[in-house]
Amino acid sequence: MDISIRISGEAGQGLVAVGNLLVGAAAAAGLQVFSGKSYMSRIRGGLNWCDLRFADHELFGLNERQYLLLALNETALEILREHTAPDAVILLDGKAERPPVLTVDFTGLAKQSGGTDIMGNTVAAGTIWGMLKYPLEFLENFLRQEFAGRDEIIAKNLACAAAGYQKGLTLPTNLTAPQPVHAPTSVTTGAAMIGLAAATSGVKFVTAYPMTPGTATLTWLAAHSERYGMVVEQAEDEIAAVNMVCGAVYTGVPAMTTTSGGGFALMAEGLALAGMMELPIFILVAQRPGPATGMPTRTAQEDLKFAINAGHGEFLRIVYAPGTHRQCYDLTRIALETAHRFQVPALMLTDQYLQDAEKNIVMPSAEYQPIDRGLVDGEPETYVRYADSPDGISPRAIPGHGVAVVVDSDEHDEAGHLTEDFAARIRQQEKRLRKNTGLLESFIMPEVYGADEADIALVCWGSTYGACREYVDAMNAAGAGKFAMIHFSQVWPLPGDRLKPLLERPRRLVVVENNFAGQFRSLLREVGISREMSGVNRYDGLSITAEYLAAEVKL
Amino acid sequence: MIDIKNADTQPSWCPGCGNYAILKVLKEVLATGAIDLSKLVLVSGIGQAAKMPHNIPVSVFNGLHGRALPAATGIKIANHELEVAIFSGDGDMYGEGGNHFLHNLRRNIGVKIFVHNNQVYGLTKGQASPTSDIGFVTPIQIHGQKLQPINPLAIAIVEECSFVARSFSGEPEHLKQMMLAAFAHRDGMALVDILQPCVSFNRTNTFKWYKDRVKPIPADHDCHNKMAALELALRWGDEIPIGIFYKGTRKSYEADNEVLAKGTLVGNYAKQ
Repeated sequence: MDISIRISGEAGQGLVAVGNLLVGAAAAAGLQVFSGKSYMSRIRGGLNWCDLRFADHELFGLNERQYLLLALNETALEILREHTAPDAVILLDGKAERPPVLTVDFTGLAKQSGGTDIMGNTVAAGTIWGMLKYPLEFLENFLRQEFAGRDEIIAKNLACAAAGYQKGLTLPTNLTAPQPVHAPTSVTTGAAMIGLAAATSGVKFVTAYPMTPGTATLTWLAAHSERYGMVVEQAEDEIAAVNMVCGAVYTGVPAMTTTSGGGFALMAEGLALAGMMELPIFILVAQRPGPATGMPTRTAQEDLKFAINAGHGEFLRIVYAPGTHRQCYDLTRIALETAHRFQVPALMLTDQYLQDAEKNIVMPSAEYQPIDRGLVDGEPETYVRYADSPDGISPRAIPGHGVAVVVDSDEHDEAGHLTEDFAARIRQQEKRLRKNTGLLESFIMPEVYGADEADIALVCWGSTYGACREYVDAMNAAGAGKFAMIHFSQVWPLPGDRLKPLLERPRRLVVVENNFAGQFRSLLREVGISREMSGVNRYDGLSITAEYLAAEVKL
Repeated sequence: MIDIKNADTQPSWCPGCGNYAILKVLKEVLATGAIDLSKLVLVSGIGQAAKMPHNIPVSVFNGLHGRALPAATGIKIANHELEVAIFSGDGDMYGEGGNHFLHNLRRNIGVKIFVHNNQVYGLTKGQASPTSDIGFVTPIQIHGQKLQPINPLAIAIVEECSFVARSFSGEPEHLKQMMLAAFAHRDGMALVDILQPCVSFNRTNTFKWYKDRVKPIPADHDCHNKMAALELALRWGDEIPIGIFYKGTRKSYEADNEVLAKGTLVGNYAKQ
């Protein structure tokens, strides 16, 4: 059993505050929670919303249709009303009665309760909490925690929450709310999980030019920079960011940058530099719809082929695409470790949806456990940076520690000095590209979820994990056939020979992607998956949901 | 296979190039023992000047065109105990790297920037550079350069760069003193703009042209006087001042950073 709630209004009205209060209280109460934001690229006005979902089973995604819509203004009511479930309850901020919409004067109630205008948000959260008939103490405790140390503010908020709660209890609704199940009480975002994993894995230098939706991770890292001993520097542009990261990695510290498609486009040359110098840099590309500025605050999976092909010349890179909050954490560490082991750049593809999505999880370790950087000391007389080797991996020393370390963006000899010698060129190019064998061996095979010998398998990558998993569960539970999900959390390089048996087995394959062109489907073709595959593609700027799949997958 | 190895003679500059003189002076400076070579990293972008680090047997990061400064910044932040020196040209530093030049002046990070400024593009064979004078005729600027030249020293002074100097490849002793002073400077960014002739592509600003015009800054110049420094920096033409123009008093990036106060990032890697 689960319930979906949409809090909507214009930017600046505090709808995120209402959402945060409810998510905090619900997680504290032991409910399973999932929440996502959908907002316009503006600071004031427009139409924004925040979706909340509470359940008695683990949640991995959002719902398309809502059972409770809170509209903080008329625009929200008009536009979003038709997207609610048929018997949804609609709650409007206002004084005038207008059935069947329920109206509550949140600001008025806040003032009556001794609060300020802004505490209308607390009244609204209290009202919804009352409508769901959850114990008030969880909301109260969360307010005490949020405003800890500010007793007067706490007292006023508690009064406002109680007033809203009493109002909510009296409203005539047919809502049935899921009961708490002792679910994990920590709530986090995809963006924060990437930050935590980077900080605990030993990333010491972070630099980026702010760009939505990558900035959420940058902000997390800045907030935790002193705790983990990281320097976080705002770059003048993305070109500077990637080149600074290259300099820092050369010097021996794991380093990363965060961006989105447009910023990543500016990093293409620097990515090629990391390829040539064999520097294990880490780039988070949080995708949004393009091309160009596109839809800055919306979600998409449009930069897969770009990430795999960005940069001039031929060089290796590894590309990960987490599908869950836990994967955001695990894969960030794996990306850094693998990049350092093979001395290649690593990219991680997320998107606005996953960056901002909030979920309650069992928190992974926050303890500092730096990765093995794979460094050598080197002998001063004999050390060369790019010594040839059977697996293509050369001993990596760092400057200032006993040996001279020479690296060059030009083609170079084993010592790192630029050369135009054709034989040296062939040796170095072969040495660099030979590492692909090891990279393919380190490939993380896709997660197969659901029925064995499936009639229909949904192939997906990155953030569509939740929607596909929920769809598979629903279809299997309904006895609609045997459904499975094959989710890729690593999308490059792809070992076609190992994937083939897995992808040949299901009777039908449907590749689910948040893009128009079916980029992953095309990549599978490129690595030798020649069987028939159909696609479900969404490219309106919103995330794929299980309900969307139910409507779009042809049975 | 064609064996080109023996054709690859070092260095790769034209006979008479100002780079030879600058390289000779750099070697003299490094031979003084004033700089710990085991802690020295030479950083460059792309261009004729950018090939310089390959002639010195120390750690070298020869990166992308225009991007020497961000790479050097990353190196210095990762290990601020390293001595990080950039060798760059006017196109590399002020053109392609112009945005980084501007913003790293703001950062005042403690790297030394030596710009071989010959007022022309050498590696791409003779187009105008950001410091080419108005009227400078090239195969691209066929009616003469019409864009206002960059004044790197004035920009650096305005942005409170902590060490701003100019020298000339034809005054080796002066250049040596400027380099030593820049390396000795401890509190933030040091910029030394080094005028040099390009014998192949700049027939206007020749060795003699510079030699006739450069004039040491008077000994009584107060290098903490910003307006006086700016006034000197705006002089160009019949008389070109060389010497130390300005010393700012801002803290360096690394001295002003809360995390770096606890030691170098690379040194603290094992710790939290």
